Amino acid sequence: MIDLTPNDAAIRNDRAAQLALMLARELWVVKDRLMVLEAVLGKDGQLRDAVDRHVMEGVDKSALDAERARFIAEIMASLQAPGDRP
Amino acid sequence: MDFQLKQRGRASMHFLSDLAVATGPLKAKIDADLLARGLDDGALADDLDERMLQVDAALADSSAAAALAMLGEYSGVNHGRVAAAAFEEIEAEIKPRLQALTQGPTTIEPLPGEARPDYFDAAWIHRTTGGWDGHPYQGFVHGELIHRHYVARNYPGDIYAQRREILSVLPRRDYSRVFEIGTSSGNYTLQIARTFPDAEIWGCDPSPRMLEQAQRIGNENGFKWRLFIGSGEKTGFEAGCVDLVTSYIVLHEIPAEATRAQLREAFRLLRPNGDVLFTDVTRYAALDKKGVRWAEYTAINGGEPFWREAASLDLAAAAREAGFVDVRSEGFRGGIYPWFVYGRKPA
Repeated sequence: MIDLTPNDAAIRNDRAAQLALMLARELWVVKDRLMVLEAVLGKDGQLRDAVDRHVMEGVDKSALDAERARFIAEIMASLQAPGDRP
Repeated sequence: MDFQLKQRGRASMHFLSDLAVATGPLKAKIDADLLARGLDDGALADDLDERMLQVDAALADSSAAAALAMLGEYSGVNHGRVAAAAFEEIEAEIKPRLQALTQGPTTIEPLPGEARPDYFDAAWIHRTTGGWDGHPYQGFVHGELIHRHYVARNYPGDIYAQRREILSVLPRRDYSRVFEIGTSSGNYTLQIARTFPDAEIWGCDPSPRMLEQAQRIGNENGFKWRLFIGSGEKTGFEAGCVDLVTSYIVLHEIPAEATRAQLREAFRLLRPNGDVLFTDVTRYAALDKKGVRWAEYTAINGGEPFWREAASLDLAAAAREAGFVDVRSEGFRGGIYPWFVYGRKPA
């Protein structure tokens, strides 16, 4: 079967471009969450300092580790052809 | 059904749908790029394959075409994955409600006369990860997350109103039993039921996962729908048992021969003076060369392996071959989308 759009397909197969878009989506999720957090927490001036000093432990640390693993899995998925993805 | 996505799922879905909306201006720019390269409708090749290659080569240095390819690929491959991930965040809390909605007057049963058609598993239609049965709650994921939050934002007009308004084409309001082919997650079914409140509603679809969502919608709204797992090509129902056979945006997802088979089966199932109404995408014959090129581009990259043969099928001729009279095949309200074919079984 002939590829009717070979130039278009070459762009679609550019994994780096797809990775960039995946990262853009993840970045938006974080930006969205930050805005939600700011809205929830209001005018707590101590927040930034508390965030800078906070050490993640226990369940919180496990959740952060799991989220990082999920994030890296997303990167790996973007670097693979759709049929090869997990 | 009311539900709330968690922040990650909501933000991811918003990002994807907004990304798709943002590609709209790119298409106008690509059309301008084609004209700038001398490819007006007269210069485009008559043969569609040749035209696709001609346009692809001409757009090799078009930044708009490159951006559309990159963004379209990302959205096409990932919308199903992102929606499934959004669902997983709320699965534990929503699952009891979804399971409860399988209990009620709307039922699902197999069509004994039909086997799952080979074409149904030939491709992941719409590039939805895993296909229509690719997720234990694919009906909810597709019907509520993808359709309502993604597709509805990226198709022209109100896609729910279109499903209701197309029923105005029908000449009767006294249907006692309606058979819908390609029920999927039940959006058209709901409009049929509301438009013909006294009619008994039957529906079929080859996908059990999609029918489960239709069942939830039926039960949630208190409807007693009979849903059948099958493609509607050879139902095994007795002849002359319904007054209306109808489908919405199904034909381009199935081979042309399956459409012919559905028309023949519709004719057999209908009582005399019964109606058939199938609605689908714009016919290629109603588009100029550029329009067909765009439709074909969308089909190639959007997980639509049957679009070309479906959009090229002469629906009026197919309906007449099945035996229907008073056949109309035209765009709704003088437009080109959606496109419908109507026919009546002679008395």
